[in-house]
Amino acid sequence: MIEVIGLSKQYGNILAVDNINAKIERGEFVFLVGPSGAGKSTLIKLLVCEERPTSGKIIVAERNIAKLLPSELPYYRRKVGVVFQDFKLLPQKTVYENVAFALEVCDATRAEIEDKVPKILDLVGMLKRRNNLPSELSGGERQRVSIARAMIHNPKILIADEPTGNLDPVNAWEIVDLLERVNNLGTTIIFATHNKSIVDRLKRRVILMKGGKIVSDRIKGGYAI
Amino acid sequence: MRAESSRRIIKLGLTNFWRNRWLSFTATLIMTLTLLIVSFFAISNLAISRETKTIREKMDVSVYFNDSASTTQITDMQKQLASRTDIRQIAYVSKEEALVACKKDIVCNRTITANNSTENPLPRSLQIKPDQAESLPQIADFLKQEQFKSIVQKISYQDNSQIVDRLVGITSFTREFGWLVCLVFIFISILVVINTIRLTMFTRRDEIEIMRLVGANDAFIKIPFLIEGLIYGILATILAVGLVWAGVALILPRVSHYLGATSSIALMTFFYNNFWLMFGLELIVGVAIGICCSLIIIRKHLKF
Repeated sequence: MIEVIGLSKQYGNILAVDNINAKIERGEFVFLVGPSGAGKSTLIKLLVCEERPTSGKIIVAERNIAKLLPSELPYYRRKVGVVFQDFKLLPQKTVYENVAFALEVCDATRAEIEDKVPKILDLVGMLKRRNNLPSELSGGERQRVSIARAMIHNPKILIADEPTGNLDPVNAWEIVDLLERVNNLGTTIIFATHNKSIVDRLKRRVILMKGGKIVSDRIKGGYAI
Repeated sequence: MRAESSRRIIKLGLTNFWRNRWLSFTATLIMTLTLLIVSFFAISNLAISRETKTIREKMDVSVYFNDSASTTQITDMQKQLASRTDIRQIAYVSKEEALVACKKDIVCNRTITANNSTENPLPRSLQIKPDQAESLPQIADFLKQEQFKSIVQKISYQDNSQIVDRLVGITSFTREFGWLVCLVFIFISILVVINTIRLTMFTRRDEIEIMRLVGANDAFIKIPFLIEGLIYGILATILAVGLVWAGVALILPRVSHYLGATSSIALMTFFYNNFWLMFGLELIVGVAIGICCSLIIIRKHLKF
């Protein structure tokens, strides 16, 4: 599904990602852990094509996405959902409008929007709050909306960059449960986190990064830096 | 692209304009001022050019003959003139024709009547219209040749040439100075509009980031900024043309006693006759400034 080969990213004199190699299979749930400055966020930016690698390849569905043309990027990004720690919701739009916006800007018809948005809001348990503004929601609820938006194009891959970073433990576990459910539907999940208890309890594959390199890759690992 | 998507994109563009309405208003006003200055100099140039053209068309050289000159000599000169390529038309005016024309002119008629002479004092003449006003001195030089001295009484073109020289000078100065002022204001407009669109982009940065992340079509991200630039151009054109219209319709009649009724009417007629030309010119300049600014900002800040 995803394979990175000899991947490096350099900013001036700083090597943020240093010649890493890894392979993630379809439907896997992978934790990406490591201290701050380990290169997790840079790797995520490379995976969503927000940055171009200095060298190496990123093969997604048998295509090197490092060589994608600007005109191909939107279509790739629809296949990769992204969830952030700070939710990145539009404050002036309701829950429904925030999710619908992701379809509107991709040329979806009104009928498509009216069909898909309620379904995805139901999946993340936010259908009843569809008319609320983000400011009227808890952190966990906002992250659910963010996940709904990331899932609206039915992506094959969902990348979550510290999705529980701003949440209390109860809300954090609700988000983890939700991401597990999404994974059970067949979506590959890459979950970057600092939360030891989540990593330890889920017993999933853990990729540990330090200084831009992958220092360990365990199939059923725990959190260890 | 479907109509629904086009509607969404236009809505985003209008939202851009409205979200920073005070800045948008300032940018529109600066562009309006620029268009007013462009149109002022364009109208001045057009008006002066047309006036010059009319005067040039009226310009001619008249050569008056001594009464002693024979018809053969005059015909000979006429033939030589006709063979020149810089002459458009030559008309022979007999003494009788000159008298008829003179009687229609109050001053001329009074002078002749005052002379108390029964004899027609007016000379025969050739009225020569050149192809271009610039050829007048060469034609005059030709007429001053030694071979014609005995038959030529007077050559008149000197006064006209000075008027034309002055008009050409004024036109050139207005054109050059006008272009310079226009360029300065176009430059100021571009700076103001660029900064306004840049600020819009800044206030919409979260939205743009989300659009990119969810795989928005390029058109949804970029075209709203082009629409914003387009709105500046169109609104500024409407305002500028409206202001000129108000100026011509309301102010011109009130100042007609300073300009003179003929000039006021001529200016009004000129404005109404050239209204669409002016509107089109301003629209081209306004829209070009708006679109260029948007493109500059898009190229600089929306590369991905």
